[in-house]
Amino acid sequence: MNLLEVRAVTKRFGSLTALNGVDFALAEGEILGIIGPNGAGKSTLFNVIAGLETPTAGRVSYRGRSIAGMTADAVCRLGIAKTFQIPQLFPRLTVAENVLVAALYGGGHGLSASWREAREWLAFVGLADKAEKPAETLTVSERRRADLARVLGTGASLILLDENMAGLNRKEVEAAVGLLRDVRARGRTLVVTEHIMRAIMGLADRVVVLNYGEKIAEGRPADVMRDAAVIKAYLGESYA
Amino acid sequence: MIRWIALFALGVLLLLPIGVGPYPIRVATVIFMWAALAGSWNLLAGYAGAVDLGPVVYHGIGAFVTAALMLKLGLPFLVSAGLAGVVAIAIAYAVGTPTLRLRGAYFAIGTLALAESTKQLALAWDRLTRIPLTGGSAGVSLPLSAGYVPFYYVMLGLMTAVTVAALWLGGSKFGYGLRAIAENDRLAEASGVDIHCLKRRVYVVSACVMAMTGGTAGYWLSYINAADVFSASITFQMVVMALLGGLGTPFGPIVGAAFLTLVSEFLGTRFVYHYLIAIGVIIVLVSLFAPAGLTGILEVVRRRREATA
Repeated sequence: MNLLEVRAVTKRFGSLTALNGVDFALAEGEILGIIGPNGAGKSTLFNVIAGLETPTAGRVSYRGRSIAGMTADAVCRLGIAKTFQIPQLFPRLTVAENVLVAALYGGGHGLSASWREAREWLAFVGLADKAEKPAETLTVSERRRADLARVLGTGASLILLDENMAGLNRKEVEAAVGLLRDVRARGRTLVVTEHIMRAIMGLADRVVVLNYGEKIAEGRPADVMRDAAVIKAYLGESYA
Repeated sequence: MIRWIALFALGVLLLLPIGVGPYPIRVATVIFMWAALAGSWNLLAGYAGAVDLGPVVYHGIGAFVTAALMLKLGLPFLVSAGLAGVVAIAIAYAVGTPTLRLRGAYFAIGTLALAESTKQLALAWDRLTRIPLTGGSAGVSLPLSAGYVPFYYVMLGLMTAVTVAALWLGGSKFGYGLRAIAENDRLAEASGVDIHCLKRRVYVVSACVMAMTGGTAGYWLSYINAADVFSASITFQMVVMALLGGLGTPFGPIVGAAFLTLVSEFLGTRFVYHYLIAIGVIIVLVSLFAPAGLTGILEVVRRRREATA
């Protein structure tokens, strides 16, 4: 059974069709990249999967069970969690408490087990020394790692990363790619949207390309990059 | 440390009626009443970040339900006040389910409107339903109460209950869930927190305490009237006391209630006509120079001492 199945998902906001009949499936332990130009519908797709938006049509199922109409918190407890394009924090809680909340509620653990989880995931993303600092004092790159630690803290099997590397420099991107490989090694499944092609190429097993809300290509990263439709979507007619 | 001081203070307060006369006990009862009200408002606003501008609804409901149970069914006061709390829980559950979905200012405006319309409904209740309950604008008189000491202990109990609840929120799973909601409700939801369920639980508990406090206050005064017990000024006094003492802190509402009550008592007896001006100035000064409230000042002092030590 596939871990996640997205079947003919359409999402309209008034007259704007953000997603139009998008289909794909995801196996356990896979890293799937979702790429596409700005406004292609990547974030909307994530929001639909994470229960933040209800699809206009189509169906999303997780481990064979439809998650249509479920609220975001129920989807999270079921095992799907996402990071935010603009990293989100509980600003006046400490960094450790940020992860603690995720472990308490997303993971459903008690207090002492959740504190252990929080410390473990902060060490994993390299923020152990910031654990007692208020989250609002973190830098952009630290915020992205804190957001990742929070998502890991929920215990979700399926992790959606919405441009988790935006704003990072080359060295930080390399570190982030390494970190995400470690996440997979710990048995999690990842869906990653990214503008930084180099990162996606080195990370994803498979790539889905969106343009104007439609899937225009799917396959191994190297093959997709040679696809005429993809080149046209990114660079224009004359390059295809 | 602070908990031991609080426990010691509670011990002193329990024995206080033995040693002092009626006037200080009455003032203390007023302080406990406001601390219980401001404290239960603080549970929702300070810990879950939902600013309710209609908490007086449950104060008024508590007053009238307690009065009705005592007068119509002849139930003893404590049983009536307890049942008023139960009625408030049921109403708060029904009201909170839709209104707590409103966010930020919309929740504040919605609850304010709810309180005002409840007051009008209460004033017109007897005429509309032909079930005598609120006595319209004439109000309801209760049997004369037995002494002042029982009220002292009931209000002290209510204040203590609210404070213990706030202390428990400080380090419990439930408390962390609420603080996450207050800090960033969308993120809390995305982290698995059932935000509506948690907020509703706090709302219901705070409504219950407010109703019991309202019921006790009504019996103490032995006369209630819808325009008074549903008055928005009660809401604003709770809000000001909680903010003055320190929002989202366990002892802030007590400090705010004691401060404002004592200052009004002191100035009110000396400057009968002008004391409200002075109180306004004091509130403005505290909000300017101690935006985190009076307990916030202690916190700043403590941190400075730690930094120099």
